[in-house]
Amino acid sequence: MEQLTTSLAPPRANPKPSVTNSSQQVAGSVAKRLTNELMTLMMSSSPGISAFPKSDGNLFEWVGTIEGPAETIYAGLTFRISISFPANYPYVAPAIKYDTPCFHPNVDINSGAICLDILQDKWSAVYSVQTILLSLQSLLGEPNNASPLNTDAAAIWDTPDAFKTQLMKYYRPVKDTA
Amino acid sequence: MATAALRSQVAAKWHEGFSRLNRTEQGISGLISFSQAWNIATDYLHPQDISDPTTVKKHDLTSVKVAFDMINRSRRLPVMLETFLDAICNQYHLITRDIVQYLAEYEQSADTSVMLRLVYRLVEWYRAWAPIDELGPTIRAAYTLTFQTQLFSILPPGFVRGFKDLCASTLVPVAQHTPEMWEAFEILGLTDRYEGIIASVGYERIEAYVRETCTAKWDKPCLEGLRGWMSVQIVPWMLPMYAKGALNTEDARGMLQNVGSRFDFHMNKTLCDLRTSEIFDIIIDFPDSMGALQDLKECLQRVDQRASLVQALRKANRKRLLHPGADTKLILTQYVATIKCLRIVDPPGVLLFKVADPIRRYLRERPDTIRSIVANLVGDDDSGDSLVDENEPIQPLQQLETEDYNDPNWDPEPIDAGPDFRTNKPSDVISTLVSIYDSKDLFVKELQVLLAQRLLAITDDNSEKVEKERRNIEILKIRFGEAALQVCEVMLKDMTDSKRIDGHVQSQKASIVHPTIISRHFWPSLESSDIVMPGQFQALQTEYAKEFSTFKPDKKLRWLPHLGTVHLELQLEDRTIETDVPPLEAAFIELFSEKNIWTMDELIGGVGTVDRIAALKALLTWVDLGVLKEDEENKFRLLEIAEEASPPPRAAPAAVEEPTVTAAQQQQADQMRLYWKFIEGMLTNLGALPLDRIQTMLRFAPGYDQTVEQLAGFMDAARREGLVVGRDGMWKLNR
Repeated sequence: MEQLTTSLAPPRANPKPSVTNSSQQVAGSVAKRLTNELMTLMMSSSPGISAFPKSDGNLFEWVGTIEGPAETIYAGLTFRISISFPANYPYVAPAIKYDTPCFHPNVDINSGAICLDILQDKWSAVYSVQTILLSLQSLLGEPNNASPLNTDAAAIWDTPDAFKTQLMKYYRPVKDTA
Repeated sequence: MATAALRSQVAAKWHEGFSRLNRTEQGISGLISFSQAWNIATDYLHPQDISDPTTVKKHDLTSVKVAFDMINRSRRLPVMLETFLDAICNQYHLITRDIVQYLAEYEQSADTSVMLRLVYRLVEWYRAWAPIDELGPTIRAAYTLTFQTQLFSILPPGFVRGFKDLCASTLVPVAQHTPEMWEAFEILGLTDRYEGIIASVGYERIEAYVRETCTAKWDKPCLEGLRGWMSVQIVPWMLPMYAKGALNTEDARGMLQNVGSRFDFHMNKTLCDLRTSEIFDIIIDFPDSMGALQDLKECLQRVDQRASLVQALRKANRKRLLHPGADTKLILTQYVATIKCLRIVDPPGVLLFKVADPIRRYLRERPDTIRSIVANLVGDDDSGDSLVDENEPIQPLQQLETEDYNDPNWDPEPIDAGPDFRTNKPSDVISTLVSIYDSKDLFVKELQVLLAQRLLAITDDNSEKVEKERRNIEILKIRFGEAALQVCEVMLKDMTDSKRIDGHVQSQKASIVHPTIISRHFWPSLESSDIVMPGQFQALQTEYAKEFSTFKPDKKLRWLPHLGTVHLELQLEDRTIETDVPPLEAAFIELFSEKNIWTMDELIGGVGTVDRIAALKALLTWVDLGVLKEDEENKFRLLEIAEEASPPPRAAPAAVEEPTVTAAQQQQADQMRLYWKFIEGMLTNLGALPLDRIQTMLRFAPGYDQTVEQLAGFMDAARREGLVVGRDGMWKLNR
């Protein structure tokens, strides 16, 4: 519980928009926040979600893994996503897209772009990688068909058999080599 | 075809020879008398067979003398001597025959008196063949030389052995016939020729005596006694041989000085060798082996055996001490004893340094070394013998200092000190032990863990123990410094504060709960537990916590129920049971006040989460007390009415009694578990990774300080657990 509060609390860095700090200090505080988030994510045992920096040199590019929730049409499938944190994170949401083709009403099948409110206008600094990943995981089972990015998918969502066929047509299993 | 000149020369020579032999006698009468004299002389000198009396002739000494005189006048004495010596050589087979005969007898009987008879017999031969003294010392010397040369050439190897035995037989006890025997030896030249053998007899005697009297006798120094024995036993024996012809004691002393110091050296060496071979046991016996150590010190000054002492002790240590079978405490004890012993033997500490090095290296590898040392520092009650001498003054830990050349008592390093030799001049054992490790931080850390354990074990009944711990800590402060033990100070303060707070809370609202309130940041990480105390315990806890938070509004109590003890009084239908139990036991029995029959899983669910083994153990405590009964597997029933024939107690599963405070080792395991999360995370997202990549990526994990080798070992362990698979140097999760 203690750990969760630290990650939810806004970081010490001054939230004043007029940035007087040198950019380096900002980068340092962002890196600190990201390190903390990584630590939290590693220690929490949320099943089916995970993320890790791509390389040891760059803390701002992460790779994430989401397993389809059980008892949904995505069950048993694993999707890889890439997370790119902006320099002024967490005041701006990270850019996230699916690397594994994902046939989903709110995901662009070609670019992997995701339509999720908390990643756009509803973003808040109290969200973290963990909350994003959890949201994405639940989005798989409960798409927002009101604002589809993939209209085909939204159209056949109610016919699971047809949907599954389409899903499996696009789906590529995650390879083990990075 | 002889020339006239040659002829005249030969004639002159012949004439000269003739006139020499014939002297000025008439005709050839001189020649005749000379040849008679020659005959008499050679006949007299001819070596007789003394064992055959018939051949022994009586000679008229006057005529013999006249004959010799005549030969001498004719200057034929050298030729005479040559003839004589030739005759000795020719006749020597007689002596050989005797020697072989005597030796054969000796071989059979092994009686040294036979050897003595042989020696006397040889002297007899020598005397019988000796020419008369009138012939002058030259001839006498020539004779003796020839006789001895012949003798030595024919003496078989068996003689040497017999001779040695003979010498040895005269040593214990000093025999009466000694002077004559030595004289005989002298006459035959045996003393000079077999000097080494005679000396070796002395050496062997010394060795045997030293072994016999000093082996395993360590309490008193032996050296004095040995010296006394030497002067009583060995010196008289040496006198006839080495101090022959000494006119007075002063003379004799001078003559014996050389050989005496050789014998003394040998005695020292023997004792030194003996003590070297015993050194390990001597150290074990310390301080009862003080005498042996003093001997060793004195011997080492005389004989240069330091290297072999080091070697022997190192070997013994390797074989007898530094192996998995030896308890760490034992190794430490022996190490401390070694320190003390070698300081006596060699105060500068060079020997100690050389011996201690492998022990220290070995101790460093042992996981529980620090714990053992620290346990000893705080003086564990159960172990009677402390490493530290009670009388040793307590002093701050010594840092290794650089040489102080301004010190008027400065000594250069001993010559056999190695390049990395460091004197640790202070004879403080604790400093030496602590210096096994590079920093004292480890000790301080372990000390905290140990102190936590001991403080938490203190119950209300023996609260004066806190005072004892405080005293310990004060003492340790002198050693480690005030700053290092600040945390311990806080822990002690927590103990007293707890009492005070408890007193206050109780005064507000009496409760039977008496918690020890500890400051989480200053105590070593305590093993956490998820036990939730049920029923009335829960109520008691909440009540207390409420009272506490009114007293200290800025603090919050977090209960660690598993660390306490509960005094219970169970009122059953037919009996009342009073007992002290751990909280888990209390929690279970509390649940039984709700209903009488519980399954194991229900019980575990009722107290939060506990380990099954621990749960079973707790339940079996009650079964043993006759309060519960396991009717069928994992189903327990409360016995409101005691049952007579209790079933044979079920063997409690061997639950390891885990320390409540996580030891440093446990903390490291926790750390590794954290790293594993990171490894799992990176392998999940990045796929298969090579080891060095994992190593660099782990820098995201806080406090990661393992080497690649350690990581490799860890990954290998994970592979054995079936968590990962490694192929071609790439690691990936096993899914």
